Formats: sequence, C-alpha cells, structure tokens
Amino acid sequence: MPTIILLDVSLSMTRPVNIPDTNEEYQRRHLAIQGINTLLDHITTHSKLEFISLMIFSSQWEQVVNFTRDVDSIKSALTKLDDYDKTNVCNGLQGVLQVVTEEWGTNAPCQIVLITDGSTGTGSDSLKHHIQYRDTKFPLPFPFPSKLHICCVGSQEEPSVSASLPLYNRLIDLNGGKGGVFVPEGSLNITSIQQLFSQLAEKYFSPFNAVLNCGNLKCKVQLFPAPEDYKMQSLKKSVSNDLQILGFVDIQDVASPAGLSRHLVLPNPPTKEDESQPNGEKENKDIKEDEEETDEFKTPSFTVLLHGALKVHSMIALTQIGEDWYGMLYSFADNRKKSNLMLTIYEPGKYCLPWLGNMDMLAPATDFPEPPYGEDDNKSPFPVRPKEKRSYANNCVVWLKASGVQADIQKMLRHARKLPEKQQHFYKELNRLRRAALSYGFTALLKSVALMLERECTCLPGSSHPDAALQLTHAANALKSEQFRDITQNIVPLRTNFSEDS
Amino acid sequence: MAGDCNKTVLVLDRSPIFASSSKQTVEFDIFTKAKAGMIPLAPIVKSLWTCSVEAAIEFCRIIYDLFPTEKLVRMVVSDRSAAVLNNWTPGQQNINLLLNCLGAIPPPSIEDPADDCTVIHGLASAVQALCDASADQEGEPNNGTIVCLTSAKSEAQIRILETYVQDAITRHNKTNDSLLPIDHCHLVIIHTVPVGDVSPIQERTVREVSPVLSSEVLVSQSGRYMAVKLIQLAVKFFDLCLTTVTGIPMKEEQNASSSANYDVELLHRKAAHQDFFKSGHADGVLIPSKEDLCLESVSLKWCNPKSNFVELHQCTGAYRITPVDVNSRPSMCLTNFLLSGRAVMLEQPRKSGTKLISHMLTSHGGEIYIHTMATNRSILEETPSISEGLGGRITDYRITDFGELMKDCRLAPRLSQLNEGEPLPIDRAKGQIERLTRVWPIVISDTIIFNMLSHLDPLPSLISKETLDEDDVLECKKAIYHVVGMESRHEPLPVPASGGTRGKGTKRDSQYRQMWSELETLIRSYVDTSDNHKQVLDCLLECKKPDLERPGSGASGTLKIAEKPAIKEEKLDEAEQALKSLEKYQRLTEREKSDLNIKTETDSPMSPPPVKKFKTNEGSINKTAGSQSILSIWTNRLNAVNAMRHAEFTGRLEGTNNKYELYQHLKEDLDNTVDTKPNIKTLTGQNKPQIKPLLGTHVKPPVSMHNRIK
Repeated sequence: MPTIILLDVSLSMTRPVNIPDTNEEYQRRHLAIQGINTLLDHITTHSKLEFISLMIFSSQWEQVVNFTRDVDSIKSALTKLDDYDKTNVCNGLQGVLQVVTEEWGTNAPCQIVLITDGSTGTGSDSLKHHIQYRDTKFPLPFPFPSKLHICCVGSQEEPSVSASLPLYNRLIDLNGGKGGVFVPEGSLNITSIQQLFSQLAEKYFSPFNAVLNCGNLKCKVQLFPAPEDYKMQSLKKSVSNDLQILGFVDIQDVASPAGLSRHLVLPNPPTKEDESQPNGEKENKDIKEDEEETDEFKTPSFTVLLHGALKVHSMIALTQIGEDWYGMLYSFADNRKKSNLMLTIYEPGKYCLPWLGNMDMLAPATDFPEPPYGEDDNKSPFPVRPKEKRSYANNCVVWLKASGVQADIQKMLRHARKLPEKQQHFYKELNRLRRAALSYGFTALLKSVALMLERECTCLPGSSHPDAALQLTHAANALKSEQFRDITQNIVPLRTNFSEDS
Repeated sequence: MAGDCNKTVLVLDRSPIFASSSKQTVEFDIFTKAKAGMIPLAPIVKSLWTCSVEAAIEFCRIIYDLFPTEKLVRMVVSDRSAAVLNNWTPGQQNINLLLNCLGAIPPPSIEDPADDCTVIHGLASAVQALCDASADQEGEPNNGTIVCLTSAKSEAQIRILETYVQDAITRHNKTNDSLLPIDHCHLVIIHTVPVGDVSPIQERTVREVSPVLSSEVLVSQSGRYMAVKLIQLAVKFFDLCLTTVTGIPMKEEQNASSSANYDVELLHRKAAHQDFFKSGHADGVLIPSKEDLCLESVSLKWCNPKSNFVELHQCTGAYRITPVDVNSRPSMCLTNFLLSGRAVMLEQPRKSGTKLISHMLTSHGGEIYIHTMATNRSILEETPSISEGLGGRITDYRITDFGELMKDCRLAPRLSQLNEGEPLPIDRAKGQIERLTRVWPIVISDTIIFNMLSHLDPLPSLISKETLDEDDVLECKKAIYHVVGMESRHEPLPVPASGGTRGKGTKRDSQYRQMWSELETLIRSYVDTSDNHKQVLDCLLECKKPDLERPGSGASGTLKIAEKPAIKEEKLDEAEQALKSLEKYQRLTEREKSDLNIKTETDSPMSPPPVKKFKTNEGSINKTAGSQSILSIWTNRLNAVNAMRHAEFTGRLEGTNNKYELYQHLKEDLDNTVDTKPNIKTLTGQNKPQIKPLLGTHVKPPVSMHNRIK
C-alpha cells in the first residue's frame, strides 16, 4: 500500500538537540531524516514494491518526491530540504488528501507517516483550533482507507510534546483509529529515534507471510500488499496465514468477479529451518547435496508451477483465506506482458460469487455421476441460476404508468385481430391481462376490455373467418362473468370445431 | 435502521374507503383513435386499493430483484381480520406468489360495512410476523420495519396505531414463548389521499417512541405517487441509488434502418457509486431522475458492448440491478440485451476528452449486475514477472500434468440436497486435492515414475482413488508386472536428462532402484485407504519376498549367484549380454555386503579375488550412501534384491544366440580345477543344489507374468 512520508520542515525542526559525548551539532530535522532512513531501509529489505512519496509541510505543503519505488531518490531528496516557517499539521494532511485521491482514488489503502516535533502552532492555525472547529477544509477522516502514524521528534519530558500527544491521538481517532503515535523512549538522540522508527516499521511495515497449500503441495509466500482486515458492522475478519486451494474453476465460469483487494503472491525462499526438517521437500535436499543453494532461482517453487498451469489452462484456483472467506489465484499480466500470480480477495461469505452458488456446495467434478463439464469439456455447470427469475426476466405485469396497461392491451388486441390463427396467443395474453387485473383489484379494466373486444367484433371485415367473431364474443362474455373472477380459472377458447368428435 | 433492515412487513388497509377512486385516470384505448369514426372508450380510474397494491408489489419487486436472499418482505392485508400472504422462507419471497394471493382477495367494496374494518388487525399480524425468525437470522439482532398503507381520519388515529404497535411489541417481548423478541422496530405509516385532495394529516419525521420502537408518518397522494413514495422509502432503507444509462442505441419499430438513443434508469445498491460519492469531483454526472422519483441519478454513457467478456482483474464490486420502469420498451431492450450474455461498458461523462470507463453491466445466471471497475492508478503496476522470482528460471515444471490435476479438481455446484451425515461437497473437494498431491514432484527432473506414465498407467491415477475394485487392483498389478518385465528386458528408463546420473556403470540399475523406490513411496502413501490399496503395495513388495522371508538363506543365495558369474568372468567376457548380467550380479552382492562379509570372513575364508572386488564396491556404496538417507539406502537395498529376483533365466542369460549348452558344469568343474582355487570349487559344489530351486521358483514367475501382459 502506498506510503506517504509527511515531514515537518517548519523552523522549530531546526532546534538543536543536545547529545552528550559528541562534537557534532544535531538539529531535530537531522534526527528525523535519520529515522526516515531507518524506515526506508526496512521497506527496501521487506517490501521492495512499496510506493513511497515524500511530502513536506509548514504553513504550506509540497510533494517533493512523487510516489516511487526508488528509495534512493527519496533519500537524496531528504538531504536537500530547506527550512520554512511555522507548523500547520492540518494543512499538511490536506495536502495528503489531495495527492492521494488524485493518484490512487479512494480505494487504495495508504499509510501516512507524519514526522513532527511536538509543536502544534498557535491561534487560529493551531492544531487544537482545527480539531475543535472542524470546518469543511478539515481533511479527516480521509475518504480512502488509511493508517495515520505520528512520529514525534521530541522528548516526552518536553511540555510542548506532552501537550501535543492528546491532540495527535485525537487526530488518529478522527481518521478511524488506525495507526499510532510514536514518541522516543528516554532522551532524544540518534539511537532512540532509530528505535522509534524501527518499532513503527516492525509493527506496520512488516510483510504478510503465509503458506499456500494445495493439498500436500505447500509453498511459503508473501502477499503484497499486505491484506487488510475486513470490518463491516459486527463482522470482523482477518486473512489467515494458511491459504488453502479448494479447487479450480474456468475463467469463463468465474466471469467478472468483484474483489475487495488484489495481492501479488511472491514465493519466499525456504528458511534454514525447513531444510533441516527431516521431511523437508525433496528439492531442498538435492540442492544441499549439490551445494547449489546459493542460487535461489534454481529452487523450484510451487507458485511458478501453479501460475504456469493456470495461465495455460485459463483457470483460477478457488482459495480459502479465512473462515467463510474466499479468494482466487490467477495469472495476472500487466500491459507489458509480465505475468505473475495474483490473489483476489472476495467479499466475505459463502455467497461471495452468487453465480458460483454456495461455496460449501462446490464438489469436485469427479464426484458427479454425469460429468458436469461434459464428456469432452463442451459444457459448464455454471452459472448457478437462482430458483426465482428476476422481474425483468419474468415478463411481469407492472401498470404503474398508463403506458404499461396500454402495451399489454395492444399486445392482446394485435392477436385478436389475427383470429383464428393467433387464437392460442390471444387467450394467453387475455388471461395474463385478466389475472393481473384481479391481483391488482383493477376490475374496472376487465369490463372495459370486454367492451373493447365487443367493439372489435363489430368492426370485423366481412371476409373474416366466422371463428373470429365467435371467439371475441366468447372472450368478452367470459371477462364479464363472475366465474372468471377466480384467479385460478383460465378462460379457454370456445370450441368451434366439432368434426373430430363426430 | 437503514443498513441492517432485513425484515420488512407491508400492511395494506382493505377497508371500504379504499374502494374509492384514486382520481387518477388511465387512458387505455389509444390504439383505435386513428381509425376514423371510432369513439375511444372512456378512460378508467384505479381505486385507492389498486394503487396501494401496485405500490406494494413494486416495492417487493425491487427488493426481491436486488436482494433475493438477504432482504425479506412479507405482506399483510387487513380488513375485518388480517390475512398474512407469505412467510419468511425463500420459497415464498417472490411477487408471483403475492400476486396470486392478492388475486384471491376481492377488492374492497363501498357497500362493505366499515365498522369492524381496521388496519389494527394487520399491525398485530405484522408484529407477530417480526417475531418469527427467518432462516439465517441466528445470532443477529431482530430488527424490522413495518410499513402501513392506510388512510387515517385524524392525527389521533395515527397515535392510536403507534400505541397499539408499541403495546403489541411489549406484550410479545414479555411472553417468553418460542417467539423471537423484537430488538427494534421501525413503523412507517403512510396516509394516502386521492390525487389532488388535501390531507388532514401532516407528515412527521422519525420519532423514537421507545427504545424498541421508532415511527414516522408520511403522506402520499394515491395513483403513481404512491409507488414513488414506496420506491423512495426503499432507496432510503436499503441504501440504494439510481444510475441512468444514457445514449442506448435502439432500433425504431417503424423505421428499422435508423436508431434513436434512449436512456434507462436502474436501481442498485449505493455502494456501486461509492467512489463517486466519496470523491465527488465529476460535475454534471449527477442528474435528476427522469422517472419523477424526485431523486438524483448518476448518469453513465453506454459504450462498447462486448460478447463473452470476462474482466478478471479490474472489478471492485458487483451489485444486482433492476430497471425503475421494468416493462418499458427501452428497459426491456436493455435487459434482454444483457440477459443474452453481452456486457456493456459504461463511461463517465467528462468535460475533457479522456474516456473514463467506470462500470460494466452484464448478467450472470439470469441476473443482471452492475460491476464497478477500478479507475485509478493501481499499486500493482509494473510488478515483476514471475520468471524474475524464486524458481522462475526453472523450465521443467510439470505444467501439463498439473493441468490434468486441475481438471480433476475442477469444481461444480452440487444442486441436490445433502443426505444426513454426508460430508460437505467442499470438504470432498479439499480431500480430493489432498489425495492427489500426496506424491507429486513439481519438476520433471525430480522424478522417474511420472516420466514413464505410459508404462505405469493406469496405476498412478487408480491408486489415488478412494476405492479400488478388483479390476482396478488387477490393473495396478499388471502395471507393476509390466515394469518388472521392462527391468528384466533391461529396457532403459525415460530418465530426465539432469537427474540421477551418479555411478557410470551402474546407471541403469540405480535408475531402476530409484524408480522402484519412487513407486513404493507413491503406493505406500495410499496404503491406508483400503485393503485393496494394500494389495497393490503387497504386490510391489512381493518382489522382495525372498529377501524378507528368509534373510539368512537369501544372503547365501545371492552369494551363490555371485559366485557363479565371478567364475564365469574369466570365461564368458566376450558375450556382452553376459557381461551385463555379470555386472548386475556383482552389484547385487554389494547390497548384501555386510551379511556377506561377515559370512565370508567367519564361515569360510574367502578367496582373495572376490573379497577385493567387494571392497572396491563397498567404497562406491559409501560414496552414494553419504548423500542418501537411511530410508533410501534401505529401499534401494530392497529394490536391488528385488531386481535380483527378476534375473533372466540362466539359460537365456548365458547362452549365445539363444543356445545354451547343457551340462556345462561338468566342463566347468574341469576348468575350475585348472584355473581357480580349491575352496571356490567346494563352495560352488556345496551350493549348487540351492541354485536350482532359486531359479525354478523365483525367476520363472516374472517371465510367465511378462508373457501374460504381452
């Protein structure tokens, strides 16, 4: 998930720090930069694909380095910063809001690391004032999922810092409560700042490691970006570290599935522990023998096999990622044709893809007496159709507008004028009309339609079939009769041809 | 109130007043106007009752279309008593059932006595209905909404209704019977008046009557306004919003060559426009509803219809839709187009020239969905290729074989009900993957047996089955015998180029050893499945019978065989086949080295040349042993013994041009006296009687079996 480093470059950051036993003079911003470098180093080691942006703020804000994976560009930019005027935290966060929504929209979860020194400004530009009178420009909560971390380059003993901490906590609460306030332990020096940033990195920038299981085939993987917990009303779920493949589905059948989030599935190198295990995978042993373990590219990885097979066969692997929580593994290719294994996480629940039906009811194809995919793969058991058709697929009668009534009457009349050929259709439409009128308690319509049919009868041309007049009169009389006020009764055509009986 | 409102009860007042006119006329005879001399029939009016029923059915239609399983609606008709038309079960949540029930209820009549008719009966039933648990309500708070369509005479009467519902809830919650207590109920009273009339009742916003009851009063004119009111209510309660699909090209009925553009309004969950409402930067996207719903609608432009389109990566949401005006021509045109399997991209209107496709309409299994598509930059852009990662450079993955496994583990929906005690289908699927992957090397160079499936078929596919019948067992055995035959014919194994090339002279034999070991591992991993699986393993192990059954005599037996070629070495070195068998026999004795060495050293002082030979071979064993586990040494050992068992018939092995000289030993004895030391002579002499049964009992069966397979 993208990370924004939001650094306070106000004048107060240039205050010197007293560090005993050194001759060099350190300012708070120097410590801050040290700390940021610690964080950047951690990110480089653990999640190379992280996008990071460097922003600075004082009473104004500026994006110094746009989102990049090139950590060095951020490091070098940090050495070239100027000093500006006073602190305005809200303005800085406003900048974050603009930059993030422009770049990533409102779906990508972001982490914001705000580095400041405990001074929160005074008067109408102070943080306290902003929190108290949250006007329309107040940036929190961010419209995108986010964690806000506030790192304070100042000792807890400083009065300004202790006064600011409640305000910082309030900011995090206002943003939904995710993230934390970090203050150096003990006195303010390089070590304590580095520890502070290491803590932050350990807690919030650790990679998500999991084991991908396909029966007895297992592979240690890292998911990038780390999947977020799911929270919706009372439901709270976390992605399990055990990803279990349940079976496979053709891409055509899974159709266009909606995903909460998507994650690269990157194989992790086997650790020393795995290799010392007696039943460790065979390839590890071979490599030990041949003393080739240095070349990790030559260690076979199940993810590569799975990716290749999914790609070749146009399938996805349905994967359980938690209790009643599912996802799919598939081969994803970006526009440069570089493909990789991807995990899409679905909305939690057994009916996350309604067209696959209940997840619990998916069985292996070999379990069916009739092959569900046909003898030579020429059919599919998907999509699962709901028992009830939706109104738009069910020819339902809605007469809220006059045009609805008119259309249904016109349909019936059209058939009435082609009697006796369209006799079957005529009665079908007639009964549909009648049933709807009875359901809606719209009996006035029945009388009027009867009148209409009688009039049609009088307008019949002389050349018309004698049956036409008979059927129209029969239908008109039936509509008026009490017997056909019963919805279960259908008006049936008048029998005019007795030749078969005689 | 809104989001977690899963149970709704609609109460329809059927008192005589509803027989009166809604004062909204319906022109229905518009098709005869064109004909000269024809006077159109007078327009008709709907009663208040008809308008209530239509509005209620429209409400149900929308909810059933959008939330077929998660939101439930019941309908109650109230006159002198209450008629509850349906229950909470899925089978009764559809409008056809409701329409049929309503069809059996005659419309109210002005002549009916008005005295006993009251909506109170309906409200009582509604409260009771909320106390019934729905199928998947377990553990959820029991919240519900009652929507009452009535016509009140005064504000006081409305207060009576509120009080009545409050009392009914209190009463129900007190009685500790099987009924579910109501945690919260929201009561909406809609007072309806004929179109154009002034209402004596005022609308009133939501009021908390008590912790368990909130209520609001709405006033609506009858006719179409009534339905609009209920749609607005549905939008509010179920968090819906509108999308107008603009610029749908449609062929004109009269003029098929030209097409006009139409707009269609759709209802769906608001979440489909979450992005838009959150960022809200696009001007001109929000337009007023054209269906007079007094709501705003997000307008999206029709573009790019596609057939058989699948978007695997971009979809962030999928929500069911239903058209506002379901049976208008443009709506039906759109829905039929989508139901036929096509997908339509929807584009956000933008002032700048860039095209922003943000949604897609398509159908799955007869239901139409609006899919939301990711429109912003993805954090997964410019990701590395899998070939740049761990294991990415390896090219001999068993991808085709894994494809077969995927096909076997392809999922299909179980549509029939589960029997009592039957495992969940998905657990069966998990079990199947587990079974099929017990022994599954992922690269070609790691395996021999999976490279020679044509020789082993159908054993590998059969053995992983849950049950094996007698025929299957026979097939498996046949496969084993076939490989036995291969080995006895010294056919080379299809070994992957990079694997298993350690010893030079013993290459093929070590390959066979590895193959047998792999095969045993494969079969052994299924041995606990059934007795028949065990039979297959037994068949495989049978090869080791001589060794396992009588380890002591086995050793002497091999020693015996070893002696023989050792003797022949000097004699038959020109015949290549004999040489091969010789090599083989030598190695067989290696396997027995410990037994052999002890025996030879303690029992009888061995002649120096053979001992030397053993020692050199020992060295090579140790070399390989260093890289092998005890298990593999053991299995190799067993396999070697095994291989011994399939030795060719001596006559065929040693003969030249299929001819074998009988009674050679007479000649041999003669030679031995000349060339070798006396103790060998005595050894051969002693053991000679034992060779015969060995050859007779153990070498023969494979040959005969081999014949049978042929």
